[in-house]
Amino acid sequence: MINEESKSQLKQVVGEERFFDDPEEILSFSYDAFILTSEPDVVIYPITTEEVSGIMKIADRENIPVTCRGSGTNISAASLPVKKGIALCFTKMNRVIEVNTQDRYVIVEPGLINGELQKVLAQEGFFYPPDPGSINVSTIGGNIAQNAGGPRCLKYGVTSDYVLAMEVVLVSGKIVRVGSRNVKDVTGYKLSSLFCGSEGTLGIVTEATLRVVSIAESHRTILATYDDLEDTANTVADIIGSGILPAAMELMDKTVINVVADASGMSLPREAAGMLLIEIDGVEEAVEKEMNRIAEKARDNGARDVTVAHTQKESDDLWAARRLAYGAFARLAPNCIVEDVTVPVSNVPKMIKATREIADRYKLHLGILAHAGDGNMHPLIAHDPNDKDELKRIEQAAKEIFETGVSLGGTLSGEHGIGLAKAEFLPLVMNQDTLDLMADIKKTLDPKGILNPGKFV
Amino acid sequence: MDVNDIDKCVKCGLCLTSCPVYYEICREPVSPRGKVQLVAASNRQNLSISRNLENIFSQCLMCGTCTQNCPSGVRHDMLFMRMRSQIVHDFGRDWKKRVLYHFLSHEHQLQLAAGFVKFGRNTILEKLARDTKLGNIQIKNMPRLNKVPFRQQVPGVVEPEAKPRGTVLYFTGCATNYVYDDIGRALVRVLTTMGYRVEIPGEQVCCGLPMFSQGGFETAKSNILKNTKLLDRPDDTAVIVDCATCGYALRKGYVDILEELQADSSAARRLSSKVKDISEFIWQHFDKLEPFLDQEKPKTTVTYHAPCHLRNSQAVGTDLIEQLLEKIPGVDYIRAPDTDACCGGGGTFFYDHPDISKKIVDRKIKNATGTGASLWVTGCPECRVNLSGNLKNPESLQVIHPVQLIEQSLK
Repeated sequence: MINEESKSQLKQVVGEERFFDDPEEILSFSYDAFILTSEPDVVIYPITTEEVSGIMKIADRENIPVTCRGSGTNISAASLPVKKGIALCFTKMNRVIEVNTQDRYVIVEPGLINGELQKVLAQEGFFYPPDPGSINVSTIGGNIAQNAGGPRCLKYGVTSDYVLAMEVVLVSGKIVRVGSRNVKDVTGYKLSSLFCGSEGTLGIVTEATLRVVSIAESHRTILATYDDLEDTANTVADIIGSGILPAAMELMDKTVINVVADASGMSLPREAAGMLLIEIDGVEEAVEKEMNRIAEKARDNGARDVTVAHTQKESDDLWAARRLAYGAFARLAPNCIVEDVTVPVSNVPKMIKATREIADRYKLHLGILAHAGDGNMHPLIAHDPNDKDELKRIEQAAKEIFETGVSLGGTLSGEHGIGLAKAEFLPLVMNQDTLDLMADIKKTLDPKGILNPGKFV
Repeated sequence: MDVNDIDKCVKCGLCLTSCPVYYEICREPVSPRGKVQLVAASNRQNLSISRNLENIFSQCLMCGTCTQNCPSGVRHDMLFMRMRSQIVHDFGRDWKKRVLYHFLSHEHQLQLAAGFVKFGRNTILEKLARDTKLGNIQIKNMPRLNKVPFRQQVPGVVEPEAKPRGTVLYFTGCATNYVYDDIGRALVRVLTTMGYRVEIPGEQVCCGLPMFSQGGFETAKSNILKNTKLLDRPDDTAVIVDCATCGYALRKGYVDILEELQADSSAARRLSSKVKDISEFIWQHFDKLEPFLDQEKPKTTVTYHAPCHLRNSQAVGTDLIEQLLEKIPGVDYIRAPDTDACCGGGGTFFYDHPDISKKIVDRKIKNATGTGASLWVTGCPECRVNLSGNLKNPESLQVIHPVQLIEQSLK
């Protein structure tokens, strides 16, 4: 509980109109895209770094938990205020401060929506590569907190590869600046990498300088369909293994293809057992050559059909349809859990086979979706949260999927983060000393444990 | 709609930025996902009806974009209307809306009221109105009412000029009848030129959407039943609408509301399949129009605003309208970057939330003006009121209905 005096001080920092403690607002911050819920005591929308600093000074003094949030689209409960306190929402702090294509960076506020940044950059012929499925909704602050990935991270890398510098408000309210505008910068610890992916447990990013990239001259979107899921998976390992690096390479099994077709209204090969959606980009001649090699590899591995999108719109529609997959899975049952195990690409065929086998054994309604080119698997599990028996089977199956992934040289999460969803499984990939090191870092930066408390660290 | 539909929402949040209101104010409770979760909490008795809740649910344009784009198939529109209905049940309605709905459900009184307002509009209130606003719109920029209601200007049946192709029923809606008789005249001329006998049933009443979208299901019911009985002929005579919102009501809303009231919806279902938006109808029978177009017409630059109730609720997409526009002689079409975005009018939204509405419409205007076009076509009279009412220079960008543009291109 936050006492009345602290509440009125917090209210003074941002003003009446950006401070809320009514039941409707509180309820609206009791969830993110994961299945758990927990209500904060108050909701505050800061719009300046000074306001965030002012809020943290009060929170620190009064021991009030602070959980930051952007659009609340993460699927690991990372933005859930499990210990109540303040839900600090950045959606109103959303300006683009500077676009500098000469030096290839942008400076933005954390509440800016990734897709809005892309619109601004596209006008200059540039883009910001990290493209999570929630790209049109999720904020840069959230992307940084979760070290978000996405399909084209296969070629371009993830969020932490693009954060050059940031302004961070520490738990005490102090404001620090880490990094610079230079790609090459070994001046001290690379602290931006510490905050990036820390899920709001170490500090609050209030401004970010991001590296941007020019849009390639040519693009192709290739669709390969298969009668056998194993052939689909083998193609992935074969293409990447041969040295070709597409921008993105998505794998969908039959269940996912059908769900996406239903939700998007697009005509997709519904009877296929597997499908690859591949994007390549670069200079025209290279793209043409790569496309032919990919088509050849796909056919060698048993693809029954390989087609290329003819227009930009067709290509955009295919990718937009792909982004519907998570929500669309809810058409099959009241809810959907999406896993995030990642394995080295050579083990993608084994991982898919094992996942299928586990799902059948536990009689789960599971579909396989994967950023296959970088081994990032997203099994989607449709379920009814009221069916306790099913939930138990999902829990056991998830554990087996994690264990299998780790045994294949993989890791727990590729891009969704740990949050609450996977906290208990951390020992699968980290020994006690490593966990202790994380705890020591947390203690140094947040001695009282008020930043996003109750999560993985 | 099944009540358990609400469970379909997996809270993925993809609806957030599709919502024009959320896009402006960036607060979760007013987002479609937030509202769905508030409805769920209210259903679980975890949240009571309050003035705050009423305010939140009034912050919705009923544009249907969230419903249209929801990957999980959640019917936000029905959930929100039902919630509004519950709120009205508990709290009653403010007097201004009560008066409005009273008139909309009593056609003859509406005619009298329109006469009175016109009188006031043109004389006494003129000076006063110059600096007064109705919602986000300056009163002086509000359209003038028709001198005589459109349906009294034309006979009940207008015979075709070309070789007869059949009969269509024309549902004029209140906007054409009382405000934009120019749309009605253009529509009748285009259809009769194409060879259609246009029948304009005199007993038609307001489509009812202004009532039911605010949760007034029972108030709207008598209008729904009257119009359905009038327009659902035993044959499959097409029913033409020139208003995107009326089209939404007749095609989708009537069935939804009657089912919600557990009333017989079979006639409304039959009617639904016969209703055509005028632009859609012309596109589907373009061969009958083509010979009458003046191919020598000088070029005019044109841009388009896609009404939400056309693209979302009637599946008449922007691509269809753009293809139609490209075929009209003299049209030099320029696409605005946000053609498919809502204009922020939203029934009484522009009046209830002028600040939010103003921000939405100003961005639309900026982008449309940026195309350099001199005509802005849109198939919804209410969008027309909102867009033209907020233009700084209405002379340089004139807002008209597509059917007016087509009529101007006739030989």
